[in-house]
Amino acid sequence: MNLRARLTGEPLALAGLVLFLILLPSLATAFFVNFVMTQTLILGLAAATIVFLSRYGGMTSLAQLLMFGIAGFMFGNAALDGGARGLNLGWHPWAAVGFAIVVTTLAAVVLGAIASRTTGIYFLMLTLVYGVIGYFVFAQIVEISGPGGITSIQRPDLLGPPVRLYYAGLLLSVLAYVGFRALRRTAFGLALQGVRDDPVRMASLGFNVPLHRTLAFVLAGFVAGLAGLLNVWWNGQIDPASISIGPTLILLIIAVIGGISSLEGAWLGAFVYVLVFTYLRDLPLVDRIGITEARFNTVIGVIVLAIMVLSPEGLTGIARRLPVRTIRKELGGTRA
Amino acid sequence: MASVVEIREVTVAFGGLRALRGVDLDIAQGERLAVIGPNGAGKTTLFNVIAGDIAPTTGTVVIRGQDCTRRPSRHRPRLGLARTYQKARAFAGLTVRENIYLALAGHRGRHRALWRTPADRAMGDEAADVADRVWLSGQLDELAGELAHGQRRQLELAMAIATRPDVMLLDEPASGLSRGERERLVELLESFDDRLTLLLIEHDMDVAFRIAQRVVVMADGEQVMAGTPDEVRADPHVHRIYLGTEAA
Repeated sequence: MNLRARLTGEPLALAGLVLFLILLPSLATAFFVNFVMTQTLILGLAAATIVFLSRYGGMTSLAQLLMFGIAGFMFGNAALDGGARGLNLGWHPWAAVGFAIVVTTLAAVVLGAIASRTTGIYFLMLTLVYGVIGYFVFAQIVEISGPGGITSIQRPDLLGPPVRLYYAGLLLSVLAYVGFRALRRTAFGLALQGVRDDPVRMASLGFNVPLHRTLAFVLAGFVAGLAGLLNVWWNGQIDPASISIGPTLILLIIAVIGGISSLEGAWLGAFVYVLVFTYLRDLPLVDRIGITEARFNTVIGVIVLAIMVLSPEGLTGIARRLPVRTIRKELGGTRA
Repeated sequence: MASVVEIREVTVAFGGLRALRGVDLDIAQGERLAVIGPNGAGKTTLFNVIAGDIAPTTGTVVIRGQDCTRRPSRHRPRLGLARTYQKARAFAGLTVRENIYLALAGHRGRHRALWRTPADRAMGDEAADVADRVWLSGQLDELAGELAHGQRRQLELAMAIATRPDVMLLDEPASGLSRGERERLVELLESFDDRLTLLLIEHDMDVAFRIAQRVVVMADGEQVMAGTPDEVRADPHVHRIYLGTEAA
């Protein structure tokens, strides 16, 4: 552990946070846990895949919400039976989970293999195109998306009570966070960072650069698929509009709010987004200054702008600077 | 002695610009060859063709008996080839140890492991030994992006020698180094095993002529002459194209 980590006690703080989140259902209201926090964990998990690809692979992907949506639609098609919209395959819920994950991962393999040939702005644009195509596929092929979406989706019995979904979100978030962090030190993770820094040099060292990018995209797609499953269980429905260009950009904005270069920022950004989304309308006098629900995205835009002006690294960038200053003060240190 | 690298009639055209014009070159195993020439002579393009970073427009590249003309650069380490670049290309966001580790991992095919094993730790230790050889042991845990220019060059060299290559291509390794650092570089290059084939582009004639057994002079994408360092040094034509003056 380096000096900075020791000073800020980062691992200890994270362990404390997880413990707090485990105890949260007995401390907070059911609404806060089951609505605000569950949604935060789901969106944070999905946004973490954007951060993972960006930070470790140098790839800013706008296709993560598509992976999220594919998993949700596939589960809906496979798990529902007669009378519901979609394919109505009527499979066992866990078989439907497997089906959704396999289809999402296969889609990530194909899309990742194509996108891995591009970098920078071209990668961003290509993944945006994926998102747009995905939206139209689900919007126009109503056999797999239902007219106006797939509704009445039930979660597996194991996740019956809402608080269990919260814990499932927490478990997957912790696993994804720890997994992505641990991956950084592995041969694959180091190679991915090498690809980010200099793909030509990596190739000269014997690495298959497009394959590395593809594998990273598949891993991110798999995790985004898990988030998509949680989302469809939490929401009970999914429709093509939920994976259109607007929500696609919102997921990117969540990652930017938290800080696109830090994994924890994904969940922090999601928390801020959900807080604003949930409580903004309840603030006193807010409607008198013209902030109505219809102008919610404008408010989010102003918040993003303010954060970017204060710190391009998002909220985690601001948060990281605070404790170090405090410690310097405590130690009586000054800048030369 | 058998050739480890055979270049035949290699031409490289970038649109209307012909960077290489029918270059032929044979490099024997264990040979120390310097390629010199003025800027724009095609030296780095020749390196890029040998290393697989660019494919020649026409001609063939054979390395250790295998036709590599159209094979991408990632196949070269398997043939025992390593290179450095004119502009140091270390991975800025990784530490010195991690940079050298990646060179080792690339050579040994440990590309996609999702967990760390004792082999990784051994490679980390090996990386430390290699860093020591290029006087970077004090910077092992520093980010490559924070190193001074000369140290980045040393790191490039470390990444090349880490894989114990049979053929090493060094593109201006002495560029930007202080006099003392150049001396250490020459000592290091002279310490390499006799079986190592060394191909060197270098503008510092003192370094090039001390290391090389044979010198190839290039100009305008063509090989102008080849000979021992003494022959090249005495050649009036080389003086004219390189320095714009006749030999004294």
